Amino acid sequence: MSDDSLPLALPLLRLAGGSSEVTTLYRELRKPLLRYLVCLGLTSDEAQDVVQDAFLGLQRHLAFGGAQENIRGWLFRVAHNQARNRQTSYHRRFSEPLDGEMDFLADDRTPEQRVLEKEKFRRLAAAIRLLTESERECLLLRAGGLRYREIGEVLGIATSTVGDAVERAIKKLAEKCNV
Amino acid sequence: MCDVQAKLIAWLDRELGSEEATGVERHIEGCKECRGRLATYKQVSETFDVYCDAVAAAKTYRPVPRWMPVLASAVVAAVVMFLAFPRTRIEPPPILTPTITAASVAVPARPEVEPAPRKIHRRRSVSPAEERAAKWHPTETAVQIAIPAEAMFPPGVMPKGMNFIAELSIAPDGSVSQVRLRQ
Repeated sequence: MSDDSLPLALPLLRLAGGSSEVTTLYRELRKPLLRYLVCLGLTSDEAQDVVQDAFLGLQRHLAFGGAQENIRGWLFRVAHNQARNRQTSYHRRFSEPLDGEMDFLADDRTPEQRVLEKEKFRRLAAAIRLLTESERECLLLRAGGLRYREIGEVLGIATSTVGDAVERAIKKLAEKCNV
Repeated sequence: MCDVQAKLIAWLDRELGSEEATGVERHIEGCKECRGRLATYKQVSETFDVYCDAVAAAKTYRPVPRWMPVLASAVVAAVVMFLAFPRTRIEPPPILTPTITAASVAVPARPEVEPAPRKIHRRRSVSPAEERAAKWHPTETAVQIAIPAEAMFPPGVMPKGMNFIAELSIAPDGSVSQVRLRQ
């Protein structure tokens, strides 16, 4: 994700009297949040709006003396809820093939490697379509660096349920993808 | 199938307690099957992570149109040329007042009324220099310049097969009166 598409959240946070702690969190968590939201099915612009709103909400939360534990989980939960209110086609968008959109990968890989990677992604996308919504969300939050307890807080489910969902999801992908 | 297999992913994610994690580690050292499964789960996790990055990059990737650099160069060149030519201010031509012609229709004589005293507006005196400037009319014709694209841009900037000529018409006052691009 390029930095040229930075949202206005950082200056807005400063205008709102945002603390350096919030600014640091913003720098640290903006990318994982954007990635999570885009993978949930939001467009880039929608995702940036949601991230901006989430950080402004965090600023208000802290200003009114809200709990300061597990801010990462708090941000993901707020972003997740806003995303669920906005998006309606999560399943379709996240698991749709990327075949026509991989030209941005302007790296030094050989054409053969790129073809292999595309094929691997195609198989993975097909396998992701077989996951339940809960399994998919658990995997996405896990890929965002959240612990099982935090994932449980975001999705409103027990930590043990998260563990089971992650295990089932990984095993399904391993079985279907043959990576 | 050994019991530890159910804990491999949790161990990979560091979600086990220290005692349980130690037990799993010991088991992995001695169990080839679990090591193989662990490697597969790691690879799936990494592939999923890369896939998420690719999805995010694909959804936020906005390629710059290929014609954009050419258009930007043409606009910059036009602005530079516009600014390069000196411009001189000229006074606008005097506004002609319509002349009154005698009407052929007889106008009935108006009753003589004592005319109201007219307010006299004195015109500001005009200096001879201003008078000369007001009377001056441009007689020169506009200058037309045609510049081929390869003369405007460094070699290699213009895409192959594309060429155009910028035609500029310079008015006598130095301003660009017309800019036209033709192929």
